[in-house]
Parts: sequence; C-alpha cells; structure tokens
Amino acid sequence: MEERREAPTRERRSEEHQEPLHPAIEDDAEETRRLTETWAAPTGFVGWFMPVNQRIIGRRFIVTAFVYFVLAGLLGIAMRLQLAAPENDLLAPEIYNQFFTVHGTAMMFLFAIPVLEGFALFVVPMMIGTRDMAFPRLNAFGYYVYLIGSGVFFLMLLVGMAPKAGWFNYVPLSGKLYEPGLGVDIWTTMITFIEVSALTAAVELIVTILKLRAPGMTLNRMPVFVWASLVMAFMIVFAMPAIIVASSLLILDRLVGTGFFVPEMGGDPLLWQHLFWFFGHPEVYIILVPALGMVSTIITTFCQRALFGYTAIVMSIVATGFVSFGLWVHHMFATGLPHLGMSFFMAASALIAIPNGIQVFCWIATMWGSRMRLATPMLYVLGFFWVFVMGGLTGVMVASIPFDLQVHDTYFLVAHFHYVLIGGSVMPVIGALYYWYPQMTGRMMSETAGKISFGLVFVGFNVTFFPMHQLGLEGMPRRVYTYLEETGWGELNLVATIGSVVLAAGFATTMVNALASLRWGETARRNPWGAETLEWATESPPPPYNQRHIPVVKSREPVWDWREEDERPVVVGLRSDRREVVVTSMLDAEPQAVQVLPGPTIWPFLSALAATVGFIGILFHPVFFVVSFFLAFFSFVGWFWPRRPWQED
Amino acid sequence: MRQFAGTDVSGLTRFAKQTHPLYAGIIGLIAIELTVVAMLVVSYSYLMLTAPEWPPAGLAPAPLLWPSVNLGLLLTSMVTMRWAGNRITAGDRRGLILGLLASVSLHALVLVFRALEMAAYEFRWDDHAYGSLMWTISGFHFTHVASAIVGTLVVAILAVKGYFTPERQLGVVVDTLYWNFVSAAWIPFYLALYWGPRLI
Ligand code: HEM
Repeated sequence: MEERREAPTRERRSEEHQEPLHPAIEDDAEETRRLTETWAAPTGFVGWFMPVNQRIIGRRFIVTAFVYFVLAGLLGIAMRLQLAAPENDLLAPEIYNQFFTVHGTAMMFLFAIPVLEGFALFVVPMMIGTRDMAFPRLNAFGYYVYLIGSGVFFLMLLVGMAPKAGWFNYVPLSGKLYEPGLGVDIWTTMITFIEVSALTAAVELIVTILKLRAPGMTLNRMPVFVWASLVMAFMIVFAMPAIIVASSLLILDRLVGTGFFVPEMGGDPLLWQHLFWFFGHPEVYIILVPALGMVSTIITTFCQRALFGYTAIVMSIVATGFVSFGLWVHHMFATGLPHLGMSFFMAASALIAIPNGIQVFCWIATMWGSRMRLATPMLYVLGFFWVFVMGGLTGVMVASIPFDLQVHDTYFLVAHFHYVLIGGSVMPVIGALYYWYPQMTGRMMSETAGKISFGLVFVGFNVTFFPMHQLGLEGMPRRVYTYLEETGWGELNLVATIGSVVLAAGFATTMVNALASLRWGETARRNPWGAETLEWATESPPPPYNQRHIPVVKSREPVWDWREEDERPVVVGLRSDRREVVVTSMLDAEPQAVQVLPGPTIWPFLSALAATVGFIGILFHPVFFVVSFFLAFFSFVGWFWPRRPWQED
Repeated sequence: MRQFAGTDVSGLTRFAKQTHPLYAGIIGLIAIELTVVAMLVVSYSYLMLTAPEWPPAGLAPAPLLWPSVNLGLLLTSMVTMRWAGNRITAGDRRGLILGLLASVSLHALVLVFRALEMAAYEFRWDDHAYGSLMWTISGFHFTHVASAIVGTLVVAILAVKGYFTPERQLGVVVDTLYWNFVSAAWIPFYLALYWGPRLI
C-alpha cells in the first residue's frame, strides 16, 4: 500500500526533528472541560434557534434535504403509477403538472444542492483540521433561510396552488397570462431564498477552505473532497446570481407589469432561457462535482492506498468547473440560434467528457490490484460507475445537435438526466451517508441493510430508467399525464413503474436504516474505516470543538503518517475560554493570525424571519420592500454589534 | 499517540486586517454582487441590441448631466472613505468620524439627485422594456447606496463610542471595501444606461 505514498519514514522524520527534542504535550483535563464549555451549543426550545457550530448546521442541512428527497420521491412514484397504464386516471392533468414541477424543483433545489452543501459544511472544516466555519452565524442564517423557503414552497402543494410550469419555469408559460395565481410567484421568491442560502454557504466554504486550513496543509495537500467543495462553491458564486436576477425580473413582470419577457413591450422570452441555463447548466455540475469528490474519498479509504493521479484529478475538477459555464446554450439547441454559435456550444458540450473521463481512469488505476473492501459506501461507488458512465454516453449523444433535435422533450431526456443525477449524485451521496454517519452520530449504520438497499437501488434504478431511452426513441414526449393505448408504450411504462417501486424500496431501506441506527447501531470505533483524512483524527462523534488540538500537517494522508510514526505535531497557544481558530495563508497554509469566532445567538434566525416577511410580503404589497429593508437592517445591527467587554487583548 | 508542539500561535495577532477571513468574505460578497451587476448589464444590452429602436420611438436617450455629476460624487466618496481609514490608522478618531460623515453626505447627495432624476423620467416601468430596465437598474443601485449609507452610519456611531483604535479597525476596513464596490458599481450602469443608447 505504501508504494505510491511519499510518507516520511520514521528515520527521515527523526532526523528532521532531532534538535531540540520536542517535549510531549499532555492534555490537561481542566482545559478540555473549558474547551467543551466554550464550544458547546445551547439546548432547549429557544436553544434550537441559536447554535452556530458547523457540524450542527451541516447535519440539519443533510436531514432537511433528505426529508425533501423522500417527499419529492413520493411524487415521482405517484407520477409513475399514473403512467403505468395508458389512459390511466389516477392523477388529473392539473395535478400531474403540479407534481412534475414540484418533483423537479424539489429534487434540484431542495434536495440535491442543499444535501451536497450540507455534507461540505459538515465535513470540510473537520477535514481541514479547524473547529468551525469562518462565519458561523452566516452559516446558521443560511440554514434558516433554506428551511423557511423550502417549507413555504412545499406547502403550496398541499393547498393545491403549486406552480405547473416545469422546473425551468419558461416564460411565457410562467407569465401572468397562463399561470395566474400565486404558484409561480412563490416559485420565484422561494427559489431566490434558497439561492441566497446556497450563496452564503458558498462564500463560507471558499473563505474557510482558503483561510482556515491546518498549518502545513498547502493547496496541493488538500483532500480531493475539499477541492471539489471549493470548486462547487466558486461555481455557485458565479452561477446563482443569474437565476436570482432572472427570477427577480420575472416577479417584477408578474407583479408590477414590467416587460422584460414580453415581446409586445420590447422584451424577449429567450432572455429567460439564457439567464436560466447560464445558471442551470453549471447547476448540474454543482451537484456533480462534490459527488465526484466523495467518490475519490471513498475509493481512497476502501482501497487503503493514496489516490492515483491526485494532480490530474484536481485539474479535471477545476476544468469541469470552467467548461460547465460554456455549456448553457446546449439546452436551447431547439430554439434556432445562429449556426456558428451553435457549433461552438456543441464542441464545448462534447469537451466536458474529457475531464470526467480522466477522473474515471484515475479511479480505475487506484482500484487496480488493491485489496478493496466492499462495504456499503464502496458498493454505492461501484454502482455510480456503471450508471454515471451510461449517463455520460447518452450525454455525448444529446450534445450533438441533429440527435438532440430528434429526442428533444422526449423520455430519452428524462432517462438521460436521471442517469446523470441519480447515478452521478444520489448514489455517491448515499455512499457518503454510510461513510460519514459515524462522525454524525457516533454509531455505524447496519451493513446488511446497506447491502440490501444497494441491491434494490441498483436493480430498481436500471429497470425504471433504462426502458425510458427506448420510449423516448419511440417518440413518447415528456410531461404528458397520459398516452393512448395505440401507441404501444404501455408495456415499457409498466416495467418502468415496477422498477420505480423497487427503487423506492431501496431508498426507503437506507432511510429506515439511518433512523434505526441512531438507536440500535453499533457504537463506532475511532476511525472505523481506517481513513487518511483529518475528520477521523478525533472521536466519533467528535466533541463540540472537533479536535482537542488543531494538527500540523505534512502530507496528503496525515492520519496514515501518524499511524506509522505514532506521534504527531499539533498547534499550541489557542485560548480555551473563547472560540479561537488559526488563520493560515491561502497557498502554503503558514499560520498568519488567530480568528476569534462568535458564539451562539438568535440573530441569524431573526434576520431570516425579517427576510421572509419582506419576500412574502412583497407578493401582496410593494411597501414590504421598504419594511423588510429596515427589518433586515435592525437585525443585522443586532447581529454585528460588538458585545462588551470589547474583546481586549 | 505522542503529541508535540508543531507551531505556537499564542503570539499571533487577533486583530488581523487584510488577512482576516472577514476581509475575504466581503470580497466574496462583492464577487456575487458583481455577477448580479453583470447579469443586469447583459440583460440590458441583450434587449437593447435585439430591439429595432432603443430607446423606443419618441424618446431621447436619458440626459447625461446628473448621472455624470453622480459619478463624480461617488468616486470622490471613495477618496474620503480612504482618508477616514488613514486617519484611524494614525490614531485620529475625530478624523475618522469626519471622513465617514463626509462620505455619507456625498452618498446622500447622490440619493437626492437620483430621486429627482427618476421623478423626471418621461416613462413608467410598465410602458416598455426600456422603461422596465431603467427603473429596475436604478432601483437596484439606489437600494445599494442607501444600504451603504446606513451601514456606514452604524460604523460612525461605533467610532463615536470609541470602539475603533489603530489596532482594532477591521470594521472600518471591510465597510470601506463594500463602500468602494457600491460606488464603483455605478460605472458599468452609467456606461450601459447613458452611453449605450448613444453609441449603438
Ligand atoms: C425515486 C426516484 C425517482 C422517480 C421515480 C422519478 C420519476 C420522475 C418522473 C416520472 C418524472 C416526470 C417525467 C415527465 O412527465 O416529464 C420526473 C421528472 C424529473 N425528475 Fe425525477 N424521479 C426520481 C428521482 C429524481 C431525482 C433524484 C432527481 C434529481 C436529483 C430527479 C429530477 C427530476 C427532474 C429535474 C425532472 C424534470 C421535471 C420537469 O419536467 O420539470 N428525479 N422524474
């Protein structure tokens, strides 16, 4: 296993550290107690609205996102039941339209992005060896905004006023003329809300990753998952504003009669499509990139050897980030844009296969000849390979314009994007859930249930979505609530529906497993998988301060180094009576300063409420714009006002 | 496992300025907002370039005088802000307060001029896409100037209370950073809204 690691051997290290012999540090129980006290999160009902610790917020994101996964999954099953037989009348057309819109929107905005953010918020600070995010309160704010926004959006379904214009909400279909009522209004405002939450998480992640890494963790020693989270965060920063602008313009069109998307007034519906896909395409990679980081992490651990081609993998991740911004037009091939431009985007669409291919080869090289341990996380990664490669293949097919024009808006597309989304993202995420569960709860999830769940998901998934390729080629359009007997699509649809029930059973097994293991799971040992990264260099679950000492890092696999050397260097000199973390330089992670982090507070929650009053109020009266401006102002002052005694030093 | 001291950080500053994560965070916020600015300018240009006539028939391009005066005021306020920061570095609290208030007054003047200018527009936002864009972008910038003013007023109050010292001035540093963004964001809007129609 050591062939590829340039870990310093015992001899080399003792040479380096001969003079002066470093005295060992003994942990003082009194100081440990004080650390616990300083970093503890408040409890009780009011306390629930106050914590700012990164692991608590990250866990909330993950749990909430999985709730939406289940809800939106149920909608998917309902649609499949409706389509099981021709001219079925389980769901009325109105309802079917609401269902696919809410299913798509919820899966993309309420589940996929938040769950990956959640994992990043939960794992990254521990992986880089620090104790919290750089802006803990902002982190909490992001969560409440997400919770409120997504909750309001989903409630619309219960009262029968959900939007019906599809997850990309094209104008003019989403204009006042075809979609009166509150549905689309809520869609636009709540999407903006959720994007704000994503943006706060992104800024947090970028700054935390660039400034709070453990001393010695230079950029090229950073774990791949951290790289992936960094790239995801940058993509969010440059992609999300487009959708915020787009939905703000749309809400203005709907509320005060502006004409951005109205041709008679000199506006242009295509503007919506450009803005939406300028965000929408990177969005797919925002979901994909961190999932690929999870795959790298899991492979390294379960093959017990350093990742082959670290540099190549990091470069591919970064390249994916850049190229994905050049792809938006490929969603609009059917709109009749100028030819030269179209060819450019067609080339770019095919180009994105290259960095992804490189990563796949590096993973194969890592796994080649290793003694792989086939635990559940690794099984999900293997499942990911198969499904993702299939999705990639159909992706290259639809990137070619002549083919795209054929299958545009058919079930071929539905099959393609479920292959990419479930294969590329959901499977690694489930694997990651099994993998990091011990750090979230202190227990292990059941392996038996995990293997059953994987089997059901893998079979169910392919049975559900593979036939849709054929249905698409036979011409079955997407977004129809039923089809005629004579089309002959009945059998394949029935197969797909049966598959979807199996698939759902697979996901349900994992969800039940996660809940049951809270109570009955085996207690986790320290570093149960034998991983190499810093989130495992502490107990399971970690104490509120994450690590007793912030470590000093000398390679890409610090935990394996310490395993060999049986000693490790750590940071000393941080105070334990307030929340202090080390700030290091961006490239080389040299210690530069100490940041004093704020403690628990209610202000982020109040600020989120202020924003809610504004965003929802605006739908009813413009004066709420001014009201919320001042509410937000006061809550921000409360948030930032320095507490006495002003931190003296 | 044996642990030994790899680095001692007890002597490192707790009052970092440019190296403080908050500084990087504000740059992140500005990056987001600059993308929003870019998206607005792109939307404006997209509709301008696809329209047969811009502004719509019967309208002249909006007058240049007041927007140009505002540009001057906004750029000057960046200088006064900078000066305020220098004063507190030198330990001169009164200079800091003076500089902050001068900058706030300049921005307040901009708000007045902008309000007068918008009141004099010959079109409403629901007349045509041109009107929608003029009003929306103006509103966006107006709101930003207003928030920069209230934010800086809070900093000024803290300054009066003696919170800032040559050491502890992160608040002033990041407020200045955001201030500069708000002031400079007028440049692309100014070029697009007032020069764009004249140049195509
Ligand atoms: C339990 C598993 C799932 C099932 C059974 C399922 C089923 C479906 C069905 C039947 C449709 C509607 C097709 C149509 O009428 O056009 C659909 C659309 C969609 N699904 Fe899924 N799906 C599942 C999981 C997911 C996941 C995990 C994601 C994303 C992360 C996702 C994203 C979407 C999107 C974006 C649409 C398009 C909605 C629209 O047309 O606006 N689905 N799905």
